Amino acid sequence: EGLIEFYDSFKDMFEFFCKNTTIHGTIRLVCSDSNRMKTAFWTLLLLSSFGMLYWQFALMFSQYWAYPVVLTMSMHSEPKMFPAITICNLDPYRFELVSEHLVQLDRMAEESITFLYGINTSARLFHLNDRNIHVKDLSNIGNLSRSSFKLSQNFSLLRTTDLRSGKKHSSVGFRLCNATGGNCFYKTYSSGMDAILEWYRFHYMNIMSQLPVIINISDHEEQIEDMVYSCQYDGEPCRPSDYVHFHHPVFGSCYTFNSKGTDPFWTATKPGIPYGLSLILRAEQKDHIPLLSTVAGVKVMIHNHNQTPFLEHEGFDIRPGIATTIGIQQDEVNRLGGNYGKCTTNGDDVNVKLLYNNSYTLQACLHSCFQHIMVQKCGCGYYYYPLPPGAQYCDYNKQPAWGHCFYQLYSRLRNHHLNCFDQCPKPCRESLYKVSAGTAKWPSAKSQDWVRQALRHQNGYNSTSNRKDIAKVTIFYQQLNYQSVNESPLLTENLLLSSMGSQWSLWFGSSVLSVVEMFELLIDTLVLSLLFCYQRLRSKKTLR
Amino acid sequence: PGVTMSHCLPCRYSAMKEYLSELDKETKKALETFYGFSDGKSKVRRSVDKWNSTGGDFFQQIPLLKVEDFSRTATDLHSGQKRKIEGSVFHKDSSIVNSGDSNDIIGFQLCDANNSSECALYTFSSGVNAIQEWYKLHYMNIMAQIPLETKEKLSYSADDLLLTCFFDGLSCDKRHFTRFHHPLHGNCYTFNSGENGTILSTSTGGSEYGLQVVLYIDEADYNPFLVTSTGAKIIVHDQNEYPFIEDIGTEIETAAATSIGMHFTRSRKLSKPYSDCTETGADIPVENLYNKSYSLQICLHSCFQKAMVDSCGCAQYAQPLPAGAEYCNYKKNPNWMYCYYRLHEKFVKEQLGCQQICKDACSFKEWALTTSIAQWPSTVSEDWMLRVLSWDKGQKLNKKLNKTDLANLMVFYKDLNERFISENPANTLVILLSNFGGQLGLWMSCSVVCVIEIVEVFFIDSLSIVMRRQWQKAKKWWNDRKGAGSGKPPQASPVERQGHDNPICIDEDLPTFNTALRLPLPQDSPLPRTPPPNYSTLRLETAFTEQLPDTLELSQH
Repeated sequence: EGLIEFYDSFKDMFEFFCKNTTIHGTIRLVCSDSNRMKTAFWTLLLLSSFGMLYWQFALMFSQYWAYPVVLTMSMHSEPKMFPAITICNLDPYRFELVSEHLVQLDRMAEESITFLYGINTSARLFHLNDRNIHVKDLSNIGNLSRSSFKLSQNFSLLRTTDLRSGKKHSSVGFRLCNATGGNCFYKTYSSGMDAILEWYRFHYMNIMSQLPVIINISDHEEQIEDMVYSCQYDGEPCRPSDYVHFHHPVFGSCYTFNSKGTDPFWTATKPGIPYGLSLILRAEQKDHIPLLSTVAGVKVMIHNHNQTPFLEHEGFDIRPGIATTIGIQQDEVNRLGGNYGKCTTNGDDVNVKLLYNNSYTLQACLHSCFQHIMVQKCGCGYYYYPLPPGAQYCDYNKQPAWGHCFYQLYSRLRNHHLNCFDQCPKPCRESLYKVSAGTAKWPSAKSQDWVRQALRHQNGYNSTSNRKDIAKVTIFYQQLNYQSVNESPLLTENLLLSSMGSQWSLWFGSSVLSVVEMFELLIDTLVLSLLFCYQRLRSKKTLR
Repeated sequence: PGVTMSHCLPCRYSAMKEYLSELDKETKKALETFYGFSDGKSKVRRSVDKWNSTGGDFFQQIPLLKVEDFSRTATDLHSGQKRKIEGSVFHKDSSIVNSGDSNDIIGFQLCDANNSSECALYTFSSGVNAIQEWYKLHYMNIMAQIPLETKEKLSYSADDLLLTCFFDGLSCDKRHFTRFHHPLHGNCYTFNSGENGTILSTSTGGSEYGLQVVLYIDEADYNPFLVTSTGAKIIVHDQNEYPFIEDIGTEIETAAATSIGMHFTRSRKLSKPYSDCTETGADIPVENLYNKSYSLQICLHSCFQKAMVDSCGCAQYAQPLPAGAEYCNYKKNPNWMYCYYRLHEKFVKEQLGCQQICKDACSFKEWALTTSIAQWPSTVSEDWMLRVLSWDKGQKLNKKLNKTDLANLMVFYKDLNERFISENPANTLVILLSNFGGQLGLWMSCSVVCVIEIVEVFFIDSLSIVMRRQWQKAKKWWNDRKGAGSGKPPQASPVERQGHDNPICIDEDLPTFNTALRLPLPQDSPLPRTPPPNYSTLRLETAFTEQLPDTLELSQH
């Protein structure tokens, strides 16, 4: 004592605090010493306002930590690019390399159907295939030797019957076993149609796995003119370099218009049908693989630039003999990410390595995730998804048990037992296209003749019958301004602090400094009690 | 994610030809008389004739009076006595009246059975509408007499309807469908209704993960007057929502593959006091007749049905029965049709008060559908597929399937993005308080404590002082009286006057107004006080008093 003047007792300290602190009400506590009731009242008041303050604080913090967002919707109308359009003719190639196997497979399917449904049912089932099979020649990739592929007879279609609830219930399916031949299960379907389709798909994947991974189709004689008879955008004919061609194992040859979105030709200038993309398409059905897909027409998908089109997910069907006008409207969603919700800006921070060399989408991530697990667990890749480096597609000549492995894995994915859904967040910035369509018969009975005549002259269209095999599609912006939905935080740190300050001043009339004062009081109490202890110890010593 | 979807599969008319043959015959007779064509070669006539022989007994038990009556008036009309019949009074309820010169306006007249002068003539600009409406009216009459079990049996079963079913990459069958009977549309099937406890959910968006079904639709079995379009109706709704298939169904076509992509939107409004909506419908005085969760549609239908039972004495057929009521039919309630039309007119003009009673539901779910159609089956696959499907179906059906009997339907989520629109109060209690505190702090640097201080000083303290004064007065008055009574006033009064000096009374002494305003000074810390005033007048006085003896002395000297 001397340099640091200190309180003599707790009472002193407490009184000093109460009189000099900036917290309202403490002074009343001391000054109403003479009246016990008042003291009690002020103590109660102080405590209750203290309680109120912290209750409000708790509410505020719990609100803040829930990270609420508000959506602000705004309309933008700056000029933008027309979206990428992918069209597919639902007519996959029969590549020369595998065509023989496909014919074998068709025979096998024929035999199975005969076996299951009797002889007369499949009498003229594949007459079309025998007559003219359009074979895709891949001779310029000459160094590929014929692989020793053999169709497996192990997976034949069977009919199982069981008596359930007194009624005979029959289902059709095929058996899948693991590598040692055990742990077998039947993949059964209540309808024979589904069973045959799935069975055919399974064999088809095995056959197609022999094909080289990268087939350079664009070098081939396949021309866009064979499928797209007429293409106009904004009243001007499309340029031949505007499309990208790829082959999909189920949906056939596909063309993507405006896939990069950089060419100023595709800038959307005006909304409305005359300024959209207008296509006349061939929707012929003669080369179909009849057991692979049962629908006829053309698939159209509207998607973002640099995005892999997943036609099986969002494809829009176009009917032959019909003119379809598709109006699109763009919606943009911007997510905040971070604490406010899981999302990824470009997919770099996602654990899954994307197998598609396009921009990140949730679907692409899920497919890649599944393919990685598939390669890891079953040792080979699923045919419909791209391959990771070093892996190869499944083939039951090499991996006899892959079907068993695949179907089990697939059902685990469906039931969310694989953590693909946790690993793949949504993209932070998403563009959605809302589609609404109207249809009309085209060409009309009156105009049919001259339309066909014109097409025949110009495009070598050679159909004379009245069969519906052409379709017209017009895709246009309904309005050029697009809605963008932006997330923004409801409570920022600034807002939180200012409302905290407001609460403080409401209940105590004080500021952050009063908090410091409270801390000071605490520290003082500690120091004082230490001092007293020390004094007592010393006095005991001196007494002795 | 727990995304569920539920579908009502197309509803189809039952093969109730035996009940309807008489009605069909009369309708055709009407068509002949008005439009002069006979459709003797049509399928309907054939089946009617066929059924007539088997169902004749049944008809004698329940004779259709109205229909016979109608035929009489119709023939009257045909003979050219138009004016006369319009002027005359119809005793029976309904009949088709051709009131126009040739066949431009057609309608029917409904009369009050009790007071036959009150008639209403309902006309339609097109004969198609008139006949359909008239047919529907009679159809309801007939159906109201048939018990539900019979109707369910007569309608098609799930087995008949479904050829294939595929959901989320797995096979499904009729066990995943639950039946409910729609009064007008017959049997409907709901996929994933959640009735057996499990609700299926899709793993991802895309058509291969959705529901894919092939439906068998027998065009020849359609009632020619009730429905004029072929196909099926589908509706996407929540598990505990009632499917109003006649109001918001999407129609699908035969011989085509219809793929329906869905976007899911969930909305939630704040209930009172923010808006006038209801959470469960329990606060609305209309009983929910549908066994499903509340919606505005349900409330309006229930309200109308209640009004119908109250004023007409029987329930309308297309809506569920309230407790204790029964469906209207000619025999028991001959007056019901007139009553129904009057009531319906009132309902549409919002005179029944239903629109005022019923409130919006606070939360609702909505599915935005995008439909695209492809040709199906394709010409190359048609062959094998029809054969396989025919064989699958073969156990019950003898004929070979035609592609116009089939409809392929795919229902799927386009993506699993769910749009959730919810209202939040803009000003919560926390925000209100903090705004209050902010303003108070900014302008007055004041808090709740200082507000309470003001309250304490101006109300509690001053009140207590006034009370104390009053108390003392009362006490004094009392003592005075007592003193006067006992005869010892001079002893009591001096004690009372010096009450605040009395040591016993000091504890009870409440602070006075002045002490409360000026904070009492603690006694143990003596602050320097201003010295007592040192007036010069006082000194003068003393000087004067001292001087006075001086002067006296001087004068003495």
